[in-house]
Amino acid sequence: MRRSIFAIPMVLSVTLFAGLAGLSGPAIAGGKQVRYVGIHPIPKSEGGGICYIEGPHVHIFEADKIQYRDHHGDNYFVGDPVAYGYDGKRYAYKGHHPIHVNVVVGDDDPDDEYCYINGPHYHYFAPPEGPEFKVVGDAYFYVGEPPRVYVDARPAMMKINAVYQPMVYERPVVTVDAPVGWIGARAEFVVPTAGVVVDGPRAGAVVVPPSAGVSVEAHIPAPSIHVDVGIGLPGVVVHERAPAVIVRERPVIIEERVKVKHDNGRHRGHR
Amino acid sequence: MLLVAACGKGGDKAAGSAGARDAVLDAWKAEKLAPSALTPATVTFGKDCQSGTIEGIDVLLCNFASPAEAKAAADQGLAWVGAATGVSQAHGAALVVLADRRKTDPSGRTINRLMKLAPK
Repeated sequence: MRRSIFAIPMVLSVTLFAGLAGLSGPAIAGGKQVRYVGIHPIPKSEGGGICYIEGPHVHIFEADKIQYRDHHGDNYFVGDPVAYGYDGKRYAYKGHHPIHVNVVVGDDDPDDEYCYINGPHYHYFAPPEGPEFKVVGDAYFYVGEPPRVYVDARPAMMKINAVYQPMVYERPVVTVDAPVGWIGARAEFVVPTAGVVVDGPRAGAVVVPPSAGVSVEAHIPAPSIHVDVGIGLPGVVVHERAPAVIVRERPVIIEERVKVKHDNGRHRGHR
Repeated sequence: MLLVAACGKGGDKAAGSAGARDAVLDAWKAEKLAPSALTPATVTFGKDCQSGTIEGIDVLLCNFASPAEAKAAADQGLAWVGAATGVSQAHGAALVVLADRRKTDPSGRTINRLMKLAPK
């Protein structure tokens, strides 16, 4: 391509504009911009609370790797915003589920991420209508077929529960039976040894890997020990160093708590 | 003759693109959000830009010949935001850039409202 001599002043003027631009607005100094999309918490060090900007935006603070996923270069929050003081419209979920990020943020870049929060929690969006979710008791239950990517990332991403378990906030109360096919009751998606969370002051606690198909959550606040066993075979052993606390050979049951309101004998079963 | 033609073309462009910025400003004003008087701003990514403040937030509005050009400049608009919370998005042929340099909008609610009001 042949360049016309008339193009030279154009190049110079563009260069000049570029030079002037540095004077017209503040340069990025000190704080590096970090890209976000969607509502998310603000770190306490930055004032705390919630950022309500729904579209793409920037801050000068970092996003953590547990509560955020990459959405085409933007950090997208997959946690529960209510835990951080979110006061907008909210939707209750129970257990793990996909998040169709492109639907939530309203762009054309398909992106399915997964929420690994155990038990009842909130998001600021409802899932799109379709067969992969069932609504029971005003809560969304994921009953779809999780893909391999969900299973593979699960050991690492389950760490998000260590963030939320100690947080005191108004969680949704879900007291209904989970629908058939709910992911939380499917043994094949329970990770054998990973997903073990040991909280509490006794950092020396050791969790012995249980048999296949067993998920263990051990919370060891002194002086007592509480062990939640998800599902699997006998042989779950939790050893804790001095003083030794051993929980062993307990039958494991999938427990879905159901609140039963007594009707004082008015139903047929008592006649 | 060439000069006249060039001027005429430029004038048409200015008239057409001014509408994009005006549409954004009108949408804000319709919701009782009062921007300060905007003054010409010199930036590398747009030739017809004006800056000012609205609700304590710095604003830069640039006109482009087409929505595609405005969209292409969105990333560069973040340079104008600098070390602050901010946004840079195309709305039609206008590029809307907001920067909360004085931290008057810590929750981002005002920025979110401004961006939602700006016509697509």
